[in-house]
Amino acid sequence: MTTLASPPEITAPTTLVRPGHPTHGSFAGLMRGEWIKLLSLRSTWWTLASTVVLMTLVSFAAAMSLDAMAADPLMAPAIADLHGAEVISGGFQIGMLTIAVLGALFITGEYSTGMIRSTFAAVPTRLPVLAAKAVALVVLTTVVTAVGVTLSYLVTMPQLAGYDLVPALDDPGTWRVLAGTAYFLVAAALFTLGIGTLLRSTAGTVTVALAVLLLLPGVLSFISLDWVETLVGYLPLPASSAFLTAGDTDVRGVALTAGEGIAVIAAYAVVPMVAAAVALRRRDA
Amino acid sequence: MIEARELTKRYGGTTAVDAISFSIAPGSVTGFLGPNGAGKSTTMRMIMGLDRPTSGTVTVNGKPYDRHRSPLREVGALLDAKAVHPGRSARSHLRTMAATHNIPAARVDEVIEMTGLGGVAGKRVGGFSLGMGQRLGIAAALLGDPRTLILDEPVNGLDPEGVQWVRRLVRGLAAEGRTVFLSSHLMSEMAQTADQLLVIGRGRIIAAGPVQQVIDSVSGGGVRVRSPHATELARLLAADGVAVASPEASTLEIRGVSADAVGELAFAHGLLLHELSPRSASLEEAYMSLTQDAVEYRSEPAAARTTTEKGSIR
Repeated sequence: MTTLASPPEITAPTTLVRPGHPTHGSFAGLMRGEWIKLLSLRSTWWTLASTVVLMTLVSFAAAMSLDAMAADPLMAPAIADLHGAEVISGGFQIGMLTIAVLGALFITGEYSTGMIRSTFAAVPTRLPVLAAKAVALVVLTTVVTAVGVTLSYLVTMPQLAGYDLVPALDDPGTWRVLAGTAYFLVAAALFTLGIGTLLRSTAGTVTVALAVLLLLPGVLSFISLDWVETLVGYLPLPASSAFLTAGDTDVRGVALTAGEGIAVIAAYAVVPMVAAAVALRRRDA
Repeated sequence: MIEARELTKRYGGTTAVDAISFSIAPGSVTGFLGPNGAGKSTTMRMIMGLDRPTSGTVTVNGKPYDRHRSPLREVGALLDAKAVHPGRSARSHLRTMAATHNIPAARVDEVIEMTGLGGVAGKRVGGFSLGMGQRLGIAAALLGDPRTLILDEPVNGLDPEGVQWVRRLVRGLAAEGRTVFLSSHLMSEMAQTADQLLVIGRGRIIAAGPVQQVIDSVSGGGVRVRSPHATELARLLAADGVAVASPEASTLEIRGVSADAVGELAFAHGLLLHELSPRSASLEEAYMSLTQDAVEYRSEPAAARTTTEKGSIR
């Protein structure tokens, strides 16, 4: 009876080498490993869910506050200057924070738990790990922002319609603000990934991220020195308003063009990542 | 095959590993011994490319570890059972590592079964006992079916059944022609498992070679005799300049002569013997003797502490 012959995949557990299987290291494999790392942790799902929910809720609240603005004779004229896309992306600051935490944990979670040693045992050249994490974060952040923005669009639409603010999909300004939101959140994720790789500590990285992304613009606004005001203009949030506002809103201190704003935000992602890459190569793990 | 040449690691002014050279051959189990702080872990971390040597080189299967295209296929390492994210399940942890080398999921299940983690593979590692964490670390080391295994304290936290399992596993892996390099603090375990020993202290190699040779180099063997005529025999031996100790009445411990020679001497003088046994030191005794000058963190003898306490009362 030939049916007694074992199928080829059932081998004795100790027969380890299977010549037929291409079991070499590859970037695609590493990429898959980083996806499994991200998606097999509850913290990732919590962070992603919070990002979507909070972004949607904040934009919904912003849309609902139009009623209060309209009722206030002083505020009412400002509605005319508003762009619907700005209302829809109104939750991007809160999204920035949750995404920043995700980017930080992606690497500091490995250092704090010791997982990094398993990671570097599998990929001792180290740099591909940073690259794979960056790619995974870019993809994940883009998808999550797209979901958050779409949901925000849907929940705010009835209210925006009442003020004739539903953003036209053929308006380049709409796309600049919505794509700019995703771009900014991707940069925030890469910023904390880079800082996290440098500092190797969750608390330290989240502190730096909170300070640079959120607190410094407010804190420094009390200092009316010219150079401080210039500096504030180059901090992430003020710089991002150069492309996250559809109108010609003037920013305090410096008025960056949309292109300049995009370049400044890129620097916040690139500089820490390059520093991280250099440190990763040189340091003991 | 692991080869180190003049391997050195300094942290600031401290030299953790001091120009050590060694070669670990395939097909056998090599035990790595040394007191705490002797440089064992640093050496293993340098082999794995986690720490960069200050000077010198170390290669695994002919290349520095980070030059291998598929390092998990070359070396499986258990350096630290806690090199795992506690929020991930054992299976997910192994899958993340397997994915980097395109190792099929079937192999992940295989090492889970081999290490007896079948029942808990879906549970988060944070809830694992030390022994389960250790099994997961061994599973990760086996994942790539590597030619060389580096295991730092693999039996740490394992129950007796687990200890025996590790012993059989590493013996089996060596018998398949693989290189096995393991450290342990359990001397009795090392004596049963290892073929060769590499003993280091204060970052330098103190002894290296087959287990029995390392033991003999320290103790030089000895003979134990029980005899109603112990006193006379001791006198005869002492007359020949042989070192004789008598730990208890009618018992002698003799160094520097073979059991045959003692037996012949006793027979020639008509002395009755109740016991004549050649004794070799245990690995533990040999280890203590080898490393006594190289212990970094010595525990204070209890007697000395008592004296100090009395002194402070006065």
